[in-house]
Amino acid sequence: MAASFSSQRRLLTTLCSQLNGALWLNSGVRSIHSTAVCNKNRAARIRVGKGDRPMTYEEALPPHQIAHRKGWLSHHTSNLNGEHGTADRTVEDAFIRRFIYGTFHRCLANELVIKRRGNMLIISALMFQKMPPRKYYFFIGYTEELLSHFYKCPVKMEIQTVEEKVVYKYL
Amino acid sequence: MTYNHITYVFFLFMLYFISCNRNKEAVLQALAATVNRDPTASNYVLQDDSYLIPNSYAQFKLFTLSKESGRNTAKYFINTYPKYFQKDFAEPHIPCLMPETLELEIEEVSEAALIERIQLRKVKAAVDMYDQLQQSGTPLSVDLTNDLLDLICLYGDQDPAPEQGSDYMENVQPSACDLRLKQIWVLENNNAERIFHIMPERTRRSYGALIRGMVKYGAYSKAFDMYTDMLNNRLTADVHIFNALITAAPEVREQIQEKWELVLNLLKQMAKQDVKPNLLTFHAVLRCLRRSRHLAKVFSVFNEMKALGIAPSLATYNLILGIVYKQGPFAKGHTEILEKVLDEISGKSFTPQDPDDGMISADTYFSLLLETHRPFVYLIQSSCCSWRFFSLLCMMENIDVVLKWYKELIPSLYYPTAQGMRDFLQALDTDNRLDLIPQIWKDIKQMGYGNMSDMVEEILSLMAREKQSPESISNTILMIFLIQLFFFSFREMLNLFKPNNRVPPESLMNDFLASIKASNKAQQAVELVQISASFCLPVTPSLIERVQQEFELTEEQRNVLTALESSADMSD
Repeated sequence: MAASFSSQRRLLTTLCSQLNGALWLNSGVRSIHSTAVCNKNRAARIRVGKGDRPMTYEEALPPHQIAHRKGWLSHHTSNLNGEHGTADRTVEDAFIRRFIYGTFHRCLANELVIKRRGNMLIISALMFQKMPPRKYYFFIGYTEELLSHFYKCPVKMEIQTVEEKVVYKYL
Repeated sequence: MTYNHITYVFFLFMLYFISCNRNKEAVLQALAATVNRDPTASNYVLQDDSYLIPNSYAQFKLFTLSKESGRNTAKYFINTYPKYFQKDFAEPHIPCLMPETLELEIEEVSEAALIERIQLRKVKAAVDMYDQLQQSGTPLSVDLTNDLLDLICLYGDQDPAPEQGSDYMENVQPSACDLRLKQIWVLENNNAERIFHIMPERTRRSYGALIRGMVKYGAYSKAFDMYTDMLNNRLTADVHIFNALITAAPEVREQIQEKWELVLNLLKQMAKQDVKPNLLTFHAVLRCLRRSRHLAKVFSVFNEMKALGIAPSLATYNLILGIVYKQGPFAKGHTEILEKVLDEISGKSFTPQDPDDGMISADTYFSLLLETHRPFVYLIQSSCCSWRFFSLLCMMENIDVVLKWYKELIPSLYYPTAQGMRDFLQALDTDNRLDLIPQIWKDIKQMGYGNMSDMVEEILSLMAREKQSPESISNTILMIFLIQLFFFSFREMLNLFKPNNRVPPESLMNDFLASIKASNKAQQAVELVQISASFCLPVTPSLIERVQQEFELTEEQRNVLTALESSADMSD
């Protein structure tokens, strides 16, 4: 929805600007920008279905259970009172999650846990035993080196492997 | 995490005892005792997961090399697209995490461009730039030309291969220089010689660069010609030139005596030109003596070194021991040399001065251990020595010492070969500790030798040899299950009992039957009954009954069983 809205808007503005460029630049148009609807009571919750979908513990528990029955996926001190760099850490985390998801394609069994200790970045991942171990080591070396150079801090990976998805519940 | 917990608890215990003893240094000792090498953990570069831990040396090497190649891939990307890695978050600046600038920046023909190429070690580009500068007529300083000559001679007129490997790779590939193809001095249109000849003035440094380059890349006679040329131009040589020439001396003469005379000649010239020898000179001389048989010369060289006040390094001892023990590792008369060397080495720290310092040859190590039984713990890091060390231990030492070292070394520090495990089993046999076989068998299987038939046969023969106590029998039975589940048939296994005049116990037969039941093979059950009948075991009738009840038997099998039953009844 959001994509189609923005592309339509883009088409409209380009058309208008081609028709009468100078006039539009001077007058300045304000238009409403909206994204798709994201309700907070539907985020990160799996709705109960027929009972044939296997869910891990992480997926099955909704977000209000964080700090009760769940832990955090990202450990850093930037969210404490008076600390700086919150947004930077969050953006870094998002990038790292996508990077690992793409590098270890279809091997991730669960969400990453990213911890920061001192200036070190520790990525803890749970993976399936899809590839032979030497391929895992290749990707681990590649990831550590690339992310270290990218973020200018030591990056370590700690990998644990499981044979198949660790099911907690069927929903 | 559990290891941390254990050390914490251990530390608490230590503190408790210390408070009883009131020893002042006990706290420090307790703290020091908690920081040890963990013998159960694998190498720190590996991941701590059972799927990702290697079981053999080949796997260990494979995994570390894969990790290293991953790193090289990342480095390739970083250096090819450096613009994505320029943003500098780190405070203070970390230079090793920035992309390497290997690209040439200065393009126009100038001295600064030549300097830049020399610094970036780009041999061919530097030579081209020099030629362009010559053609444009710019005068170049002698120092700069000497730098260029040094660069060309160091890399043998070829661009250097990209560097690879970090610290731990040294353990995995200890002789990387052997793997690289040996370069030879380029004979036709050599850039170094050409530039040398068009130089307006040649200093000792220029001659030195050429001579050392020639010796490094194998053009030995040319090096000597260059040296005579140098003397004809009334220049004196320095210590580096003499070291290179002494290294080259054995290659330009045929007879051993002539080689030694040439070396002596060079040393005399060195004295005449008032050049002081250094440690590397003596190493070069010792290397020349490698193939000679006169040990007196070796000792005279060593004494002269001491007289001049040059402290010997590890490589010196390595060379001396290599020469002394070249005649055979069991030359008994020279044990005292080893003792003296060991006394000298122990308790000292060495700074590496010669590239050979780190590599003590396997033969000398072997002979060292044979004579003295004093292991060099720091040398255990390289696996080429570890298996010899361990096999020597198995041969020589008490079983308790062997077990202690086994727990320390295997499998965290080194992965034994099949032969190493066989030696270990022999040591167990010699000292009557065959009750440890179940645990050792678990280790053997983990290392991947569990499918080797000769290994399994050896284990079984060891087990069958001893009359074992009841507690150990259950262990061995458990083990037999493991074995027979894989590939042995009962007949073969029980045949091992026969030649040794041992009777398989009743519980064993019962357990066999239970396991056959699990795999539900009626034919094997009938075979088992036949074997027990051949042993005339008292348990045979009950076995027959059980087999008849629990298995689905064909006509033929039933007939066999009834025949056995009747024969058993008759013998009663």
